[in-house]
Amino acid sequence: MYTYENRLKSMRDTKVRHTLEKRAQNGYTDLDDFGTVPISENYEVEPWYNSSNGSFYGYDGMSENFARVMDAHEAYVDPNEMLCGRWRDMLVNYRGDVHYLPDWLKKKPKIMELMSSATDQWSKRWDEQRFPYDDLKPLQQKYNIQTGIDGDAHLACDYRIGFSLGFGGFLEKIEKYRKINPDKKAFYDAEEKTVKAIIRFIDRHIEKIKEMILSEENTDIKANLEEMLETCQSVRLDKPKTFQEACQWTAFFNCAARVCTRDGAGFQLDGLLYPYYERDIKAGILDDEKAKFLIANLLLIDPHYYQISGVDDEDKDMTNPLSYLILEAADSINIACNLTVRVHENCDKEFLRKAVYYLLKNKNGWPRFCNDKALCEGYMKNGVDKTTARERIAVGCNWMCVPGKEFPMNDTVKINIAKVMDVALSEMKFEENKSTEKLFEIFEKHLKIAIDTTAKGVNLHIDHQWEVTPELVMNLMMNNTIEKGEDISQCATLYTVGVDGAGLAVVADSFGALSTRVEEEKVLNWDEVYEALENDFSDERTRLILNSAPKYCQGNTISDKWAKRLTECWVKNIKGQEMPEGRCLVPGWFSWARSIEYGSKVGATPNGRRAGEPISHGANPNPHFRNDGAPTAQSNGIASVQCGYGNTAPLQIEFDPKLADDEKGIEVIENFILGHFKQNGTLININILDKEKLLEAHENPDLHPDLVVRVTGFTAYFASLSPQFRQLVVDRFLEGI
Amino acid sequence: MVKGLVADIQRASFHDGDGIRTTVFMKGCPLSCLWCHNPEAISFEKQELFYPEKCIGCNMCDKGCYSGAKVICGKEMTPDEVFAEIKQDSPYYTNGGGVTFSGGEPMVQKDFIKEVIALCKSENISCAMETSLIYYDEEVLSSLDFVMCDLKIWDEDIHKKCTGVSNKTIKENFIKLNKLNIPIIARTPVIPEINQEIDKISEFLKTLHNVKKYELLPYHPLGLSKQKALGLEINEFTVPNKEYMKELERYVYIRE
Repeated sequence: MYTYENRLKSMRDTKVRHTLEKRAQNGYTDLDDFGTVPISENYEVEPWYNSSNGSFYGYDGMSENFARVMDAHEAYVDPNEMLCGRWRDMLVNYRGDVHYLPDWLKKKPKIMELMSSATDQWSKRWDEQRFPYDDLKPLQQKYNIQTGIDGDAHLACDYRIGFSLGFGGFLEKIEKYRKINPDKKAFYDAEEKTVKAIIRFIDRHIEKIKEMILSEENTDIKANLEEMLETCQSVRLDKPKTFQEACQWTAFFNCAARVCTRDGAGFQLDGLLYPYYERDIKAGILDDEKAKFLIANLLLIDPHYYQISGVDDEDKDMTNPLSYLILEAADSINIACNLTVRVHENCDKEFLRKAVYYLLKNKNGWPRFCNDKALCEGYMKNGVDKTTARERIAVGCNWMCVPGKEFPMNDTVKINIAKVMDVALSEMKFEENKSTEKLFEIFEKHLKIAIDTTAKGVNLHIDHQWEVTPELVMNLMMNNTIEKGEDISQCATLYTVGVDGAGLAVVADSFGALSTRVEEEKVLNWDEVYEALENDFSDERTRLILNSAPKYCQGNTISDKWAKRLTECWVKNIKGQEMPEGRCLVPGWFSWARSIEYGSKVGATPNGRRAGEPISHGANPNPHFRNDGAPTAQSNGIASVQCGYGNTAPLQIEFDPKLADDEKGIEVIENFILGHFKQNGTLININILDKEKLLEAHENPDLHPDLVVRVTGFTAYFASLSPQFRQLVVDRFLEGI
Repeated sequence: MVKGLVADIQRASFHDGDGIRTTVFMKGCPLSCLWCHNPEAISFEKQELFYPEKCIGCNMCDKGCYSGAKVICGKEMTPDEVFAEIKQDSPYYTNGGGVTFSGGEPMVQKDFIKEVIALCKSENISCAMETSLIYYDEEVLSSLDFVMCDLKIWDEDIHKKCTGVSNKTIKENFIKLNKLNIPIIARTPVIPEINQEIDKISEFLKTLHNVKKYELLPYHPLGLSKQKALGLEINEFTVPNKEYMKELERYVYIRE
């Protein structure tokens, strides 16, 4: 039977099959799923390299290769779906990025040639021949800085621009401004080439659907294909006019944005689509069941970060009937899903309750929750007005962005503060008078150098990104770009660049342990601590003395105080960093999925952590921070270290799945969320996992290829994660229950 | 200022009453239930628990144990100190959450509890108690928002044999407490080896209009490791299976 229910089941089954096939093709990926489908057998791209260093850059390099990769993408049409289009590959892969390169691409000799001169931090994504930064590298390495140089821009498009123009409208706009800015020919040529490649991508879908209609005998399926055909033909050039067209247009645009730089972001889903929903319902061409199916289909195509609910710039509730339908749609497809519910005291309480209900029901890590008030008020402290700050939405793993206006680089720039402490400890070793105060003083000195080094890298990136990796697709829906003939890196309205600190709990607990055991109780002296660090705790008792000291998130402990002091220091120095006119840095605490990698760079630490072990995750506490593992204590601790400028220090938490069976489970989670947000917490990622299923999947991932976990801000199919990363998720989960 | 001997303070407790609660476990209990899951809270004194599996064999016990092998249960605390801990979770106490005094038998230290309750009330924090009802103090009980209490076994002799005390006073106190118009959640731990006459308990409780809910709590063996760590005799019982609990379901109720 060709019912919505059966079709969704089939779509979900296909997704599971794709997940396993992708793992076979790509190897393990500790990343978001991104909605890709497996590479087909005959898929082949012949990249065009325009740089003497063997890579490709700039408007011509990017647009030509975008067109080549896009043209290599065959149409993806599943007759069970109502929307079509998927992406498989991105052009920046052909520059040999060591972090994301899938296994199948590693078989290409040219790619391996590029890779051979790349290091784990410096790949051929950046044109170092023209824009070298060798002077920064020693310090970037010293402080384990994730530089952001040629990282993802992490922009959010303003979909209102696209919805009002369509792809044909983009071409007209390009033509219009090409005449006004004749000196920007390279830019406009590249943008035109980009849009035309997207239109060709749509054309291939049109042709494929036509073929499928000819051979289709089932009348229901045929009717669906005909509707898909009509939709694709309509959005090929025209702006979307119906709910289905708006969804299909978004799907095509998102595929293109992903192919270009894997970048891109969602939007306020219940806001932008609502006028289409209302109009179509009134016109009798849409009902709630179909709207739900279309949303589920859109979520399946790409697990982009979409927001729902929240308040407007007058603090009025924006929750509408579509907000509810979106939750129901996500429930019906129940895949890796990155829906963020904006929470505000003025919002419909029933909606929050329903959102929590689905979190408990499906145990699939969605939705997550962000605090409208704290994020908006925080971002305003960067000198931004409330209307703009309120528009800033959660469109990434832990990051927020003002659609169309901001160049945030958020989540791509990080400083491993555990490494900074490592450096400070080494320096203090030769001081006669050792103390935590002295250590803090040296720590801050090095932190300043690390931040200054980071800022230099950020500025290099912003100054030259347009010559290296212009955001050709996303430029189409940003303000000023087409109008000025400039890449968004040159003409953003807001350059509020996010810099995250990683390893807070390790550093706070280290200071706390030294304060308690060395200075207060005098159980150990400084020489004994240094000896233990140098021999990586060959004496277990010494390690335990330090490790059992009061910890961050235990509740008003010395380490909690250090965590706050470290946050103040972090915020003061990030905000105090001089930047060129119009740019500023915005502090946050977040390690993304790099806690293993960062930990490998840090020696033994005074909190009893052995050398090379992972550092703490985001703003979360270290394992065993309290005997009862109280989530409220963790929540309070994390609320107390918020940086307060609109970027997040997320609360990543695992709950006992028994709560899902408890009649008061919803109420408990709801109170928990509101309690964290009352204290200005910013973002909550909750996992409620089935222990048995998780452990079984850890043993044999193929048993549960549909199991989704919220790794950090992003969700991932557990079966796709590397064994080491799966272990990290399992450990964190067992700690949490 | 009166000090209390506290066994533990557990935050974010989801199973001891409404909402999110902080449970304060007090030391000392006149009962000695064979199945007690908090045996470390029975004694009125501080006690050492020993977990040999955590011992690293450093032979430096006299200089302090940091491995978690030797743990002291019982901390003298002032009402302000306990309140400071309770207050940390105030943001989560909306919609029925608050503090639950448990134990041990919290009424053993009623003067201390009174002071903590007063502090909580000054900040509108809901207070509840888990008590065996072996003691009855109207002033304390009437200041609570609800009371959770057990009627563990119906027969007096069996009750005495298994808990060390008769249930005569407990039953009387149930009746007295019912008159205070405070919601009561009554509970019975289910231990298959013991004839508890749950039907009779349920019948009795139904006559008390303030018993808003009657719950059955399946025995769990979580107390065993602590009995072992305390060097006590180990009393292990059968964990009732789902079918067993299902059979008894007809006795539980919620009064609207």
